[in-house]
Amino acid sequence: MAQGHHHIIPLRTLSIVFAILLVLTVVTVITARIDLGALNVPLALSIAGFKAILVAMIFMALKYDNKVNLLAVVLGVVFVVVFLALTFADTEFRGNLGITEPAITEPVSEPSDKEPPSH
Amino acid sequence: MSSADTTLKHYFVSHEQQFDAAKLGMWLFLVTEILLFAGMFVAYAVYRSWHPEVFLQASELLDWRLGALNTVVLLASSFTVALSIHYVQKGQNDKVFLLIILTLLCAAAFMVVKYFEYSDKFSHGIFPGAGFDPHGIIDGKDYSKYNVPFAPQFFSIYFVMTGIHGVHVLVGMGMFGWLATRVARGHFSPQWYTPVELTGLYWHLVDIIWIFLFPLLYLI
Amino acid sequence: MSDESHNYLNAKKGIWSWLSTTDHKRIGILYAIACGAFFLLGGILATFVRTELGTPGETILGQDEYNQVFTLHGVVMVFLVIIPAIPGILGNFALPIQIGANDVAFPRLNLASWYLFMAGAIMAVCGWLFVGKVDTGWTFYTPYSSGASNAVLWLTSAVFVAGFASIFTGLNFIVTVHKMRAPGMTWNRLPLFTWAIYATGIVQVLATPVIGITMILLFLEKLMHIGIFDPALGGDPVLFQHFFWFYSHPAVYIMILPAMGIISDLMGTFSRQQVSGYTFIALSSVAIAFLGFLVWGHHMFVAGQSALSSIIFSMLTFLIGIPTGIKVFNWVATMYKGSVWLRTPMLYALMFLFLFTIGGLTGIMVGVLAVDVHLHDTYFVVAHFHYVMMGGALIGLIGGLHYWWPKMTGRMYNETAGVIAAILVFIGFNLTFFTQFFLGSKGMPRRYHDYSELLDTFPEFAALNMASTIGSYILGVGLLLILVYALYSLFRGPKATANPWGACTLEWTHTGPVPDEHNFHETPQVTRGPYDFHLADDVFGPKNNSQS
Repeated sequence: MAQGHHHIIPLRTLSIVFAILLVLTVVTVITARIDLGALNVPLALSIAGFKAILVAMIFMALKYDNKVNLLAVVLGVVFVVVFLALTFADTEFRGNLGITEPAITEPVSEPSDKEPPSH
Repeated sequence: MSSADTTLKHYFVSHEQQFDAAKLGMWLFLVTEILLFAGMFVAYAVYRSWHPEVFLQASELLDWRLGALNTVVLLASSFTVALSIHYVQKGQNDKVFLLIILTLLCAAAFMVVKYFEYSDKFSHGIFPGAGFDPHGIIDGKDYSKYNVPFAPQFFSIYFVMTGIHGVHVLVGMGMFGWLATRVARGHFSPQWYTPVELTGLYWHLVDIIWIFLFPLLYLI
Repeated sequence: MSDESHNYLNAKKGIWSWLSTTDHKRIGILYAIACGAFFLLGGILATFVRTELGTPGETILGQDEYNQVFTLHGVVMVFLVIIPAIPGILGNFALPIQIGANDVAFPRLNLASWYLFMAGAIMAVCGWLFVGKVDTGWTFYTPYSSGASNAVLWLTSAVFVAGFASIFTGLNFIVTVHKMRAPGMTWNRLPLFTWAIYATGIVQVLATPVIGITMILLFLEKLMHIGIFDPALGGDPVLFQHFFWFYSHPAVYIMILPAMGIISDLMGTFSRQQVSGYTFIALSSVAIAFLGFLVWGHHMFVAGQSALSSIIFSMLTFLIGIPTGIKVFNWVATMYKGSVWLRTPMLYALMFLFLFTIGGLTGIMVGVLAVDVHLHDTYFVVAHFHYVMMGGALIGLIGGLHYWWPKMTGRMYNETAGVIAAILVFIGFNLTFFTQFFLGSKGMPRRYHDYSELLDTFPEFAALNMASTIGSYILGVGLLLILVYALYSLFRGPKATANPWGACTLEWTHTGPVPDEHNFHETPQVTRGPYDFHLADDVFGPKNNSQS
């Protein structure tokens, strides 16, 4: 028998997930339009992440699937994080080399004891 | 089983093995897609963290309503794809055909909205990179005020990310068109529907990428 | 077993049967021909470079030509030879048979990979020859590349296309290893070569897309000036280096891991012993694959990245030494008390052990932050990565080609010629590159076509460079000798038996002298590990002999 016993995801589950995805889209639009200060970005990313997980686990059936597939995706995401984290280890701590800040073009009269400005 | 027998390649022992192999292959391909987009997300993150205020300001020029509309359109298409898998597993191929056509229409709608967004940007001088020269007043926003350092970086990243994403949507449309003809010719059965499954996986990934692009570019 | 005259080489006839084949063994041969041709091209370019540097002053190349020649040398050797060669040739040929499969999981994709690879190769070489002679070096650093002539677009597109060939090859092997193993071929019975190609596949799949997007961005940077990498437009050129090395450092492991796999198989077979620390060697391949992603910034210590990230990357770099050391010690232990059989493949395995250890240890040296500031962009680095890439990856490839040659062609090569060539390669290689450690530590910079102005301070540069150039000629003669006796063997070599080395893996024990089109007549049932030489009767006993 070929694929007859593959897990068929019930219509109910699919519909509920679709509804949640729509609700979350509304939520992310609303919350983004309210100024939450530093919270806006992490909140929006968390909602997006949750939506992505829903799509991956249910629509893409990772939840019911061979775990190797899940492992592959998790590895992919881990290396995206590695890519981002180690790049940030440079770009967030570069100090002021005058490469990226246009403000540096002001003449600097003399060296001072103040902390050098940073990003 | 006769249709299934012609679909089993000689180097596989069983349909199960063949299906699993195809699926793992597709997942690995999706992982490469994730890392392809990762490069652009890293570029976005770096420039955003360097110039947060410029990015916030520049993103005002993107219409969040159109972005949200496209999000809903893509989510709907993901839903129809998931349904089409459900019905192909049950052997209801007429519904599968209908759902694939619906998916195709959603994808087309997405591209139409994208077309209007792009042409609106171009008409006001918002080009990727060196051609960046915003002008005109829309919705009370004076575009020329957005000509500040590093705003071009935002729009370069916007155009590259949505552009490459759009190419993926176009590829997906081609694949759904091809699938539709195969469904119509009765190629798929609950025993063998690998192309539907794989195209579906691809399409969900395109959706997931957009789920991240939408808030990052339009909202925050 | 079967009719000896019927095998994969003569199952179908004509050029088109080769160009349209989906047989993994034939695709391996296609890669062998292509990579061989590019290796010849890259080698000729290397000879130009060394000839120019042999004597002070301008010898045969002006400074522009020199830059162009070493650029093409780098691009060809890295992207068209070392990265595709071992997975493409030997992985394709041996891996499916080693796990008892009739083919890879996606044979048509496999053929498509070869065509993508060829398309990329033709774009690279023709772009360089006819459109414009790019001189950015193989790394395409911005802003140099974004300001260079548009011919650089050809090379970046070529790298993009060839990258997809690499992705699809890796993907194919991962799925093949996961899903196509014969009954009884458990994970801890996989030959170590298969393990290594599997780990390589992981790197190919995870890293290569990033060079893809990097090349797209560089392409757009040149065409539309998008300002991501170009400092003149507010971009950050160091970000390009992050993107580039996020791929290109793991790519070093795409090059070296398969060679390590070959060495593991050779050590077991030619020592007639269970490979010592099998599990550790297998898992260290996977460990190297993952750790390889964490160290890319050690190429950028003096590029202007933050001090913090330099420290982190330097520390992480040392970690790579652990799994690598595990492998080297286990290979040595495999030979201990084994009956070492010094045939040509084993000579290359020993050569690998010697050269790669030097390459690896000097890698730790330049991974030290303070030391690298002194050695960066000197010939020390050139020597280091040639010890790894040529002394490691290519020597492993040559050893593997000798090892599988009888199975691929059904012919033996001349052992004496093989030994002579191996000795020439060993002497030539060390003369070429060991001298460069001295040159580099004294401060001879890389990518300079002339060093005559340095001679007042360092008069020894003349002699060392001359020695290095002479070494490269000896190396070239050794490699050409291999080509000569390989071609001779194709037509006149004595017929090989099914298992001339007495190896234990399936491609030797379960196929004829040359495998059939579909590898096995019946699916092999695996009942033992890949190096169970103590079960010699089972492998070499009368039952199997009568079969073949």
